[in-house]
Amino acid sequence: MAIPGAVGASIVDYTTGFPVATTGAAPNDDHEAAAAGTADVVQAANSRSLFVSAVPHDLLEDLIITTAGGYHLLRPVQTDFDSRLVLYVWLDRVLGNLAVARHRMQKLADDLVAT
Amino acid sequence: MTPSTTVAPGRLLAQVAGERQTGALVVGGHPGGAVYVLEGRIIYAESAAAPGVGELLTASGRLAGRTWQHALDQGTATARVGRMLVEHGHLTQGELELCVLGATYDAAYFALAPPDAPVQFHGGVTHWLGPVVHIDPAAVAREVRRRAKMLDDIFPDPRVDTAVVTPIARPPRERITLTAPQWELLVHADGQRTPADLAFLLGKAGFATIQELRRLAAAGLLDLPDVRGKAPEFVRLPRSRGTAVDARRAHPRRDDSPTVPVVSGMRPAAPGPPAPDPPAPAPAPSALTEETSAHGTVYRPPRLARRKPGAKLPKEVAAEPPPPHPGTDEVLLKRIRTALRALR
Repeated sequence: MAIPGAVGASIVDYTTGFPVATTGAAPNDDHEAAAAGTADVVQAANSRSLFVSAVPHDLLEDLIITTAGGYHLLRPVQTDFDSRLVLYVWLDRVLGNLAVARHRMQKLADDLVAT
Repeated sequence: MTPSTTVAPGRLLAQVAGERQTGALVVGGHPGGAVYVLEGRIIYAESAAAPGVGELLTASGRLAGRTWQHALDQGTATARVGRMLVEHGHLTQGELELCVLGATYDAAYFALAPPDAPVQFHGGVTHWLGPVVHIDPAAVAREVRRRAKMLDDIFPDPRVDTAVVTPIARPPRERITLTAPQWELLVHADGQRTPADLAFLLGKAGFATIQELRRLAAAGLLDLPDVRGKAPEFVRLPRSRGTAVDARRAHPRRDDSPTVPVVSGMRPAAPGPPAPDPPAPAPAPSALTEETSAHGTVYRPPRLARRKPGAKLPKEVAAEPPPPHPGTDEVLLKRIRTALRALR
Protein backbone atom coordinates (compact mmCIF):
# COMPACT_ATOMS: atom_id res chain seq x y z
CA MET A 1 0.00 0.00 0.00
CA ALA A 2 1.72 3.13 -1.16
CA ILE A 3 0.66 6.72 -1.51
CA PRO A 4 1.96 8.05 -4.84
CA GLY A 5 3.60 11.44 -4.59
CA ALA A 6 4.02 11.39 -0.82
CA VAL A 7 6.92 13.53 0.33
CA GLY A 8 6.66 12.92 4.04
CA ALA A 9 4.35 11.87 6.79
CA SER A 10 3.98 11.89 10.54
CA ILE A 11 1.67 10.84 13.33
CA VAL A 12 0.92 13.84 15.50
CA ASP A 13 -0.57 14.11 18.98
CA TYR A 14 -2.91 17.01 18.29
CA THR A 15 -3.43 18.04 21.90
CA THR A 16 0.25 18.75 22.32
CA GLY A 17 1.40 19.23 18.74
CA PHE A 18 4.06 16.58 19.16
CA PRO A 19 5.08 14.22 16.33
CA VAL A 20 5.17 10.74 17.88
CA ALA A 21 6.50 9.27 14.62
CA THR A 22 7.86 10.86 11.46
CA THR A 23 9.19 9.75 8.11
CA GLY A 24 10.38 11.44 4.93
CA ALA A 25 10.56 15.20 4.61
CA ALA A 26 8.61 17.93 6.35
CA PRO A 27 7.86 21.47 5.26
CA ASN A 28 11.00 23.54 6.01
CA ASP A 29 12.65 20.29 7.13
CA ASP A 30 11.08 20.73 10.53
CA HIS A 31 8.79 17.91 11.62
CA GLU A 32 8.22 19.47 15.03
CA ALA A 33 7.05 22.77 13.58
CA ALA A 34 4.88 20.91 11.10
CA ALA A 35 3.34 18.94 13.96
CA ALA A 36 2.63 22.09 15.95
CA GLY A 37 0.94 23.59 12.90
CA THR A 38 -1.00 20.39 12.32
CA ALA A 39 -2.26 20.50 15.89
CA ASP A 40 -3.39 24.11 15.51
CA VAL A 41 -5.37 23.29 12.39
CA VAL A 42 -7.01 20.22 13.91
CA GLN A 43 -7.86 22.12 17.09
CA ALA A 44 -9.36 24.94 15.10
CA ALA A 45 -11.48 22.56 13.04
CA ASN A 46 -12.52 20.50 16.05
CA SER A 47 -13.22 23.19 18.58
CA ARG A 48 -13.87 26.41 16.77
CA SER A 49 -15.60 25.60 13.55
CA LEU A 50 -19.26 24.89 13.18
CA PHE A 51 -18.73 22.41 10.35
CA VAL A 52 -17.77 19.46 12.49
CA SER A 53 -20.50 19.96 15.04
CA ALA A 54 -23.51 20.55 12.83
CA VAL A 55 -24.93 17.07 13.38
CA PRO A 56 -24.36 14.82 16.43
CA HIS A 57 -21.62 12.22 15.89
CA ASP A 58 -20.60 13.93 12.66
CA LEU A 59 -16.92 13.62 13.47
CA LEU A 60 -14.01 15.18 11.67
CA GLU A 61 -12.78 12.83 8.94
CA ASP A 62 -10.23 14.62 6.75
CA LEU A 63 -8.67 18.03 6.57
CA ILE A 64 -7.14 18.88 3.23
CA ILE A 65 -5.08 21.97 2.59
CA THR A 66 -4.00 22.61 -0.96
CA THR A 67 -1.20 24.94 -1.93
CA ALA A 68 0.28 25.75 -5.31
CA GLY A 69 3.01 23.18 -4.76
CA GLY A 70 1.39 20.46 -2.71
CA TYR A 71 -1.40 18.86 -0.78
CA HIS A 72 -1.45 18.49 3.00
CA LEU A 73 -3.78 15.81 4.27
CA LEU A 74 -4.77 15.31 7.89
CA ARG A 75 -6.80 12.41 9.16
CA PRO A 76 -7.58 11.57 12.79
CA VAL A 77 -6.55 8.09 13.87
CA GLN A 78 -9.51 6.60 15.71
CA THR A 79 -8.65 4.48 18.73
CA ASP A 80 -11.04 3.13 21.33
CA PHE A 81 -8.85 4.51 24.11
CA ASP A 82 -7.89 8.15 24.58
CA SER A 83 -5.06 8.96 22.16
CA ARG A 84 -5.88 12.11 20.11
CA LEU A 85 -3.66 11.29 17.14
CA VAL A 86 -3.79 12.59 13.61
CA LEU A 87 -2.00 11.24 10.56
CA TYR A 88 -0.37 13.91 8.42
CA VAL A 89 0.78 13.28 4.84
CA TRP A 90 2.47 15.83 2.60
CA LEU A 91 1.95 15.19 -1.12
CA ASP A 92 3.68 16.59 -4.14
CA ARG A 93 1.15 18.52 -6.21
CA VAL A 94 2.32 17.13 -9.57
CA LEU A 95 3.02 13.52 -8.56
CA GLY A 96 0.21 13.17 -6.09
CA ASN A 97 -3.40 12.31 -6.77
CA LEU A 98 -5.67 13.70 -4.13
CA ALA A 99 -8.44 11.13 -4.50
CA VAL A 100 -6.06 8.18 -4.43
CA ALA A 101 -4.11 9.64 -1.54
CA ARG A 102 -7.23 10.26 0.48
CA HIS A 103 -8.43 6.72 -0.07
CA ARG A 104 -5.06 5.17 0.83
CA MET A 105 -4.71 7.38 3.84
CA GLN A 106 -8.01 6.20 5.19
CA LYS A 107 -6.77 2.63 4.96
CA LEU A 108 -3.43 3.58 6.49
CA ALA A 109 -5.06 5.30 9.45
CA ASP A 110 -7.28 2.26 10.01
CA ASP A 111 -4.39 -0.18 9.63
CA LEU A 112 -2.29 1.67 12.20
CA VAL A 113 -4.80 0.58 14.78
CA ALA A 114 -6.15 -2.61 13.26
CA THR A 115 -2.83 -4.42 12.88
CA MET B 1 21.22 1.88 42.97
CA THR B 2 22.35 5.43 43.30
CA PRO B 3 21.66 7.22 46.56
CA SER B 4 18.71 9.56 46.45
CA THR B 5 19.82 13.02 45.48
CA THR B 6 17.88 16.18 44.85
CA VAL B 7 18.66 17.18 41.30
CA ALA B 8 16.85 17.93 38.07
CA PRO B 9 15.37 14.55 37.07
CA GLY B 10 16.14 15.32 33.44
CA ARG B 11 19.86 15.63 34.16
CA LEU B 12 20.12 12.24 35.79
CA LEU B 13 18.09 10.78 32.93
CA ALA B 14 20.50 12.24 30.39
CA GLN B 15 23.38 10.75 32.36
CA VAL B 16 22.00 7.20 32.58
CA ALA B 17 20.94 7.40 28.94
CA GLY B 18 24.45 8.44 27.95
CA GLU B 19 25.85 5.44 29.80
CA ARG B 20 23.30 3.20 28.07
CA GLN B 21 22.11 1.86 31.40
CA THR B 22 19.07 -0.28 32.15
CA GLY B 23 16.88 0.47 35.13
CA ALA B 24 14.30 2.74 36.66
CA LEU B 25 14.73 6.43 37.40
CA VAL B 26 12.45 7.06 40.35
CA VAL B 27 11.42 10.64 40.98
CA GLY B 28 10.04 11.50 44.41
CA GLY B 29 7.89 14.42 45.46
CA HIS B 30 4.44 15.16 44.13
CA PRO B 31 3.24 13.75 41.86
CA GLY B 32 6.57 12.02 41.22
CA GLY B 33 6.93 9.05 38.94
CA ALA B 34 9.33 6.64 37.37
CA VAL B 35 11.02 6.48 33.98
CA TYR B 36 12.18 3.07 32.79
CA VAL B 37 15.20 2.84 30.52
CA LEU B 38 16.49 -0.16 28.62
CA GLU B 39 20.06 0.24 27.40
CA GLY B 40 19.72 3.99 27.49
CA ARG B 41 16.35 4.26 25.75
CA ILE B 42 13.05 4.97 27.44
CA ILE B 43 10.59 2.07 27.31
CA TYR B 44 7.93 3.34 29.71
CA ALA B 45 7.14 5.96 32.32
CA GLU B 46 4.54 6.19 35.01
CA SER B 47 3.30 8.82 37.40
CA ALA B 48 0.53 9.16 39.95
CA ALA B 49 -0.84 12.05 37.88
CA ALA B 50 -0.96 10.19 34.55
CA PRO B 51 -3.18 7.18 33.82
CA GLY B 52 -1.07 4.24 32.72
CA VAL B 53 -1.71 1.85 29.86
CA GLY B 54 -4.01 -0.29 32.02
CA GLU B 55 -6.14 2.64 33.13
CA LEU B 56 -6.40 4.03 29.59
CA LEU B 57 -7.45 0.69 28.15
CA THR B 58 -9.93 -0.25 30.86
CA ALA B 59 -11.47 3.17 31.56
CA SER B 60 -12.28 3.52 27.85
CA GLY B 61 -13.82 0.06 27.79
CA ARG B 62 -11.28 -1.13 25.23
CA LEU B 63 -10.28 -3.98 27.57
CA ALA B 64 -12.41 -5.56 30.26
CA GLY B 65 -10.95 -5.21 33.73
CA ARG B 66 -10.60 -8.95 34.08
CA THR B 67 -8.74 -9.22 30.77
CA TRP B 68 -6.21 -6.68 31.95
CA GLN B 69 -5.98 -8.32 35.36
CA HIS B 70 -5.41 -11.70 33.76
CA ALA B 71 -2.58 -10.31 31.62
CA LEU B 72 -1.04 -8.78 34.74
CA ASP B 73 -1.32 -12.07 36.64
CA GLN B 74 0.30 -13.99 33.83
CA GLY B 75 2.87 -11.54 32.56
CA THR B 76 4.06 -9.37 35.44
CA ALA B 77 6.72 -11.70 36.77
CA THR B 78 8.34 -12.13 33.37
CA ALA B 79 7.73 -8.52 32.26
CA ARG B 80 5.72 -9.40 29.18
CA VAL B 81 2.25 -8.02 29.94
CA GLY B 82 2.17 -6.00 26.71
CA ARG B 83 3.26 -8.84 24.46
CA MET B 84 0.82 -11.17 26.14
CA LEU B 85 -2.15 -8.92 25.34
CA VAL B 86 -1.17 -8.90 21.68
CA GLU B 87 -0.41 -12.63 21.56
CA HIS B 88 -3.79 -13.46 23.02
CA GLY B 89 -5.52 -11.22 20.48
CA HIS B 90 -6.89 -8.72 22.99
CA LEU B 91 -5.04 -5.78 21.42
CA THR B 92 -3.36 -5.16 18.11
CA GLN B 93 0.32 -4.31 18.03
CA GLY B 94 -0.59 -0.88 16.65
CA GLU B 95 -2.97 -0.13 19.49
CA LEU B 96 -0.44 -1.25 22.07
CA GLU B 97 2.33 0.89 20.59
CA LEU B 98 0.18 4.00 20.29
CA CYS B 99 -1.16 3.54 23.81
CA VAL B 100 2.29 2.98 25.33
CA LEU B 101 3.77 5.96 23.45
CA GLY B 102 1.01 8.25 24.68
CA ALA B 103 1.15 7.02 28.27
CA THR B 104 4.94 7.26 28.36
CA TYR B 105 5.16 10.85 27.13
CA ASP B 106 2.30 11.76 29.46
CA ALA B 107 3.88 10.30 32.61
CA ALA B 108 7.33 11.56 31.60
CA TYR B 109 6.00 15.09 31.72
CA PHE B 110 4.96 14.74 35.37
CA ALA B 111 8.09 12.85 36.37
CA LEU B 112 10.62 15.04 34.60
CA ALA B 113 9.10 18.52 34.64
CA PRO B 114 10.05 19.46 38.24
CA PRO B 115 13.28 21.49 38.18
CA ASP B 116 14.49 19.55 41.21
CA ALA B 117 13.22 16.52 43.07
CA PRO B 118 14.63 13.58 45.01
CA VAL B 119 15.81 11.22 42.30
CA GLN B 120 17.11 7.68 42.52
CA PHE B 121 18.30 5.30 39.86
CA HIS B 122 17.61 1.60 40.39
CA GLY B 123 19.85 -0.31 38.02
CA GLY B 124 18.76 -3.60 36.46
CA VAL B 125 15.06 -3.00 37.00
CA THR B 126 12.55 -3.21 34.21
CA HIS B 127 8.82 -2.63 33.91
CA TRP B 128 6.27 -5.44 33.93
CA LEU B 129 4.77 -4.17 30.69
CA GLY B 130 7.91 -5.20 28.83
CA PRO B 131 9.64 -3.20 26.11
CA VAL B 132 7.06 -2.10 23.52
CA VAL B 133 8.58 1.16 22.27
CA HIS B 134 12.11 2.56 22.52
CA ILE B 135 12.19 6.34 22.76
CA ASP B 136 15.17 8.65 22.61
CA PRO B 137 15.48 10.28 26.06
CA ALA B 138 16.63 13.55 24.49
CA ALA B 139 13.38 13.76 22.51
CA VAL B 140 11.39 13.17 25.69
CA ALA B 141 13.34 15.80 27.61
CA ARG B 142 12.75 18.33 24.82
CA GLU B 143 9.07 17.52 24.72
CA VAL B 144 8.74 17.89 28.50
CA ARG B 145 10.15 21.41 28.32
CA ARG B 146 7.90 22.27 25.41
CA ARG B 147 4.81 21.04 27.25
CA ALA B 148 5.66 23.06 30.35
CA LYS B 149 5.91 26.18 28.21
CA MET B 150 2.68 25.32 26.43
CA LEU B 151 0.78 25.27 29.72
CA ASP B 152 2.22 28.60 30.78
CA ASP B 153 1.28 30.11 27.44
CA ILE B 154 -2.34 29.13 28.06
CA PHE B 155 -2.59 30.29 31.67
CA PRO B 156 0.55 30.73 33.78
CA ASP B 157 -0.75 29.41 37.09
CA PRO B 158 0.41 25.93 38.17
CA ARG B 159 -2.20 25.81 40.96
CA VAL B 160 -4.64 24.65 38.29
CA ASP B 161 -2.64 21.45 37.82
CA THR B 162 -3.04 20.13 41.36
CA ALA B 163 -5.88 21.98 43.11
CA VAL B 164 -9.31 20.41 43.50
CA VAL B 165 -11.28 21.36 40.40
CA THR B 166 -14.05 23.78 41.32
CA PRO B 167 -16.10 25.24 38.49
CA ILE B 168 -17.40 28.71 39.22
CA ALA B 169 -21.07 28.80 40.08
CA ARG B 170 -22.02 31.56 37.66
CA PRO B 171 -20.30 32.10 34.32
CA PRO B 172 -18.67 35.49 33.92
CA ARG B 173 -20.36 36.13 30.57
CA GLU B 174 -23.73 35.69 28.94
CA ARG B 175 -22.47 33.08 26.56
CA ILE B 176 -19.67 30.55 26.96
CA THR B 177 -18.35 27.92 24.57
CA LEU B 178 -16.99 24.59 25.75
CA THR B 179 -15.31 21.76 23.87
CA ALA B 180 -16.44 18.20 24.52
CA PRO B 181 -13.43 17.38 26.75
CA GLN B 182 -14.04 20.55 28.78
CA TRP B 183 -17.69 19.67 29.25
CA GLU B 184 -16.70 16.21 30.45
CA LEU B 185 -14.31 17.67 32.99
CA LEU B 186 -16.80 20.17 34.38
CA VAL B 187 -19.58 17.60 34.62
CA HIS B 188 -17.35 15.27 36.62
CA ALA B 189 -15.79 17.95 38.81
CA ASP B 190 -17.63 17.34 42.07
CA GLY B 191 -15.69 19.74 44.25
CA GLN B 192 -13.54 16.88 45.59
CA ARG B 193 -11.67 15.61 42.58
CA THR B 194 -8.22 16.81 41.63
CA PRO B 195 -7.08 16.97 38.01
CA ALA B 196 -5.36 13.60 38.48
CA ASP B 197 -8.58 12.08 39.85
CA LEU B 198 -10.45 13.30 36.79
CA ALA B 199 -7.81 11.99 34.39
CA PHE B 200 -8.04 8.50 35.94
CA LEU B 201 -11.81 8.59 36.15
CA LEU B 202 -12.26 9.57 32.53
CA GLY B 203 -9.31 7.61 31.16
CA LYS B 204 -7.74 10.72 29.62
CA ALA B 205 -4.09 11.67 29.56
CA GLY B 206 -3.01 13.67 32.60
CA PHE B 207 -1.38 16.38 30.52
CA ALA B 208 -4.39 16.75 28.22
CA THR B 209 -6.53 17.11 31.34
CA ILE B 210 -4.53 19.91 32.89
CA GLN B 211 -4.22 21.55 29.49
CA GLU B 212 -8.02 21.76 29.25
CA LEU B 213 -8.23 22.90 32.87
CA ARG B 214 -5.77 25.72 32.22
CA ARG B 215 -7.92 26.78 29.27
CA LEU B 216 -10.98 26.76 31.50
CA ALA B 217 -9.09 28.78 34.10
CA ALA B 218 -8.01 31.24 31.42
CA ALA B 219 -11.66 31.61 30.43
CA GLY B 220 -12.50 32.40 34.05
CA LEU B 221 -14.58 29.27 34.54
CA LEU B 222 -12.64 27.76 37.47
CA ASP B 223 -12.45 28.86 41.07
CA LEU B 224 -8.85 28.87 42.18
CA PRO B 225 -7.73 28.69 45.79
CA ASP B 226 -6.82 32.22 46.91
CA VAL B 227 -3.59 31.42 48.65
CA ARG B 228 -1.17 28.92 47.36
CA GLY B 229 -1.26 26.63 50.36
CA LYS B 230 0.94 23.66 50.96
CA ALA B 231 -0.50 22.20 47.81
CA PRO B 232 1.53 19.00 47.68
CA GLU B 233 0.09 17.85 51.01
CA PHE B 234 -3.36 17.86 49.53
CA VAL B 235 -2.60 16.14 46.29
CA ARG B 236 -4.42 12.87 46.37
CA LEU B 237 -2.60 10.09 44.66
CA PRO B 238 -5.38 8.51 42.74
CA ARG B 239 -4.38 4.90 42.63
CA SER B 240 -1.70 2.47 43.58
CA ARG B 241 0.82 2.02 40.84
CA GLY B 242 2.39 -1.11 39.53
CA THR B 243 5.78 -1.94 40.83
CA ALA B 244 8.91 -2.75 38.93
CA VAL B 245 10.20 -6.18 38.10
CA ASP B 246 13.81 -7.16 38.39
CA ALA B 247 15.05 -7.67 34.85
CA ARG B 248 17.47 -10.37 35.90
CA ARG B 249 14.87 -12.51 37.60
CA ALA B 250 13.50 -14.90 35.04
CA HIS B 251 10.83 -16.81 36.93
CA PRO B 252 8.07 -15.83 39.31
CA ARG B 253 8.48 -16.92 42.89
CA ARG B 254 5.60 -19.20 43.73
CA ASP B 255 5.72 -18.59 47.46
CA ASP B 256 4.77 -14.92 47.53
CA SER B 257 1.61 -15.12 45.57
CA PRO B 258 0.17 -11.58 45.76
CA THR B 259 2.86 -10.08 43.58
CA VAL B 260 0.48 -8.52 41.13
CA PRO B 261 -0.34 -4.86 41.43
CA VAL B 262 -3.98 -4.28 40.78
CA VAL B 263 -4.33 -1.53 38.29
CA SER B 264 -7.73 -1.85 36.80
CA GLY B 265 -9.85 -3.42 39.48
CA MET B 266 -12.63 -1.66 41.30
CA ARG B 267 -10.40 -1.54 44.35
CA PRO B 268 -6.67 -1.69 44.48
CA ALA B 269 -6.05 -4.92 46.37
CA ALA B 270 -2.55 -5.87 47.38
CA PRO B 271 0.01 -3.73 45.60
CA GLY B 272 2.67 -6.31 46.29
CA PRO B 273 6.25 -5.45 45.54
CA PRO B 274 7.97 -8.17 43.55
CA ALA B 275 11.11 -6.12 43.16
CA PRO B 276 13.71 -5.69 45.85
CA ASP B 277 13.49 -1.93 45.44
CA PRO B 278 9.89 -1.04 44.77
CA PRO B 279 10.28 2.35 43.20
CA ALA B 280 6.65 3.25 42.76
CA PRO B 281 5.52 5.94 45.17
CA ALA B 282 3.21 4.40 47.73
CA PRO B 283 -0.17 6.10 47.88
CA ALA B 284 -1.01 7.95 51.03
CA PRO B 285 -3.17 5.78 53.30
CA SER B 286 -6.08 8.14 52.93
CA ALA B 287 -5.84 7.93 49.15
CA LEU B 288 -7.31 4.46 49.15
CA THR B 289 -10.57 5.36 50.80
CA GLU B 290 -11.03 8.43 48.72
CA GLU B 291 -10.17 6.39 45.72
CA THR B 292 -12.90 3.93 46.59
CA SER B 293 -15.47 6.62 46.97
CA ALA B 294 -14.34 8.14 43.71
CA HIS B 295 -14.98 4.78 42.14
CA GLY B 296 -18.48 4.52 43.46
CA THR B 297 -19.39 6.64 40.48
CA VAL B 298 -16.99 5.23 37.94
CA TYR B 299 -17.64 6.62 34.52
CA ARG B 300 -17.88 3.86 31.95
CA PRO B 301 -18.38 4.87 28.37
CA PRO B 302 -20.32 2.41 26.23
CA ARG B 303 -18.30 -0.71 25.71
CA LEU B 304 -16.95 -1.12 22.22
CA ALA B 305 -16.67 -4.32 20.31
CA ARG B 306 -13.57 -6.26 21.21
CA ARG B 307 -11.52 -8.39 18.91
CA LYS B 308 -12.14 -12.10 19.31
CA PRO B 309 -9.32 -13.67 21.28
CA GLY B 310 -6.90 -15.31 18.94
CA ALA B 311 -8.35 -13.69 15.86
CA LYS B 312 -5.98 -12.32 13.23
CA LEU B 313 -2.84 -13.16 15.12
CA PRO B 314 0.13 -12.50 12.86
CA LYS B 315 2.82 -15.15 12.83
CA GLU B 316 5.58 -12.78 13.82
CA VAL B 317 4.14 -11.94 17.22
CA ALA B 318 4.15 -15.56 18.28
CA ALA B 319 7.90 -15.74 17.74
CA GLU B 320 10.61 -14.90 20.23
CA PRO B 321 10.95 -11.28 21.41
CA PRO B 322 12.19 -9.05 18.63
CA PRO B 323 15.61 -7.45 19.06
CA PRO B 324 15.58 -3.95 20.53
CA HIS B 325 14.97 -1.31 17.92
CA PRO B 326 17.73 1.19 17.42
CA GLY B 327 15.57 4.08 16.25
CA THR B 328 12.88 6.18 17.83
CA ASP B 329 9.49 4.47 17.62
CA GLU B 330 10.94 2.33 14.90
CA VAL B 331 8.05 -0.10 14.67
CA LEU B 332 5.58 2.66 14.09
CA LEU B 333 7.80 4.22 11.49
CA LYS B 334 7.94 1.01 9.55
CA ARG B 335 4.22 1.20 8.97
CA ILE B 336 4.37 4.68 7.54
CA ARG B 337 7.37 3.81 5.45
CA THR B 338 5.48 0.93 3.91
CA ALA B 339 2.83 3.39 2.90
CA LEU B 340 5.31 5.74 1.33
CA ARG B 341 7.28 3.14 -0.57
CA ALA B 342 6.48 4.81 -3.88
CA LEU B 343 8.68 7.69 -2.86
CA ARG B 344 11.89 5.69 -2.71
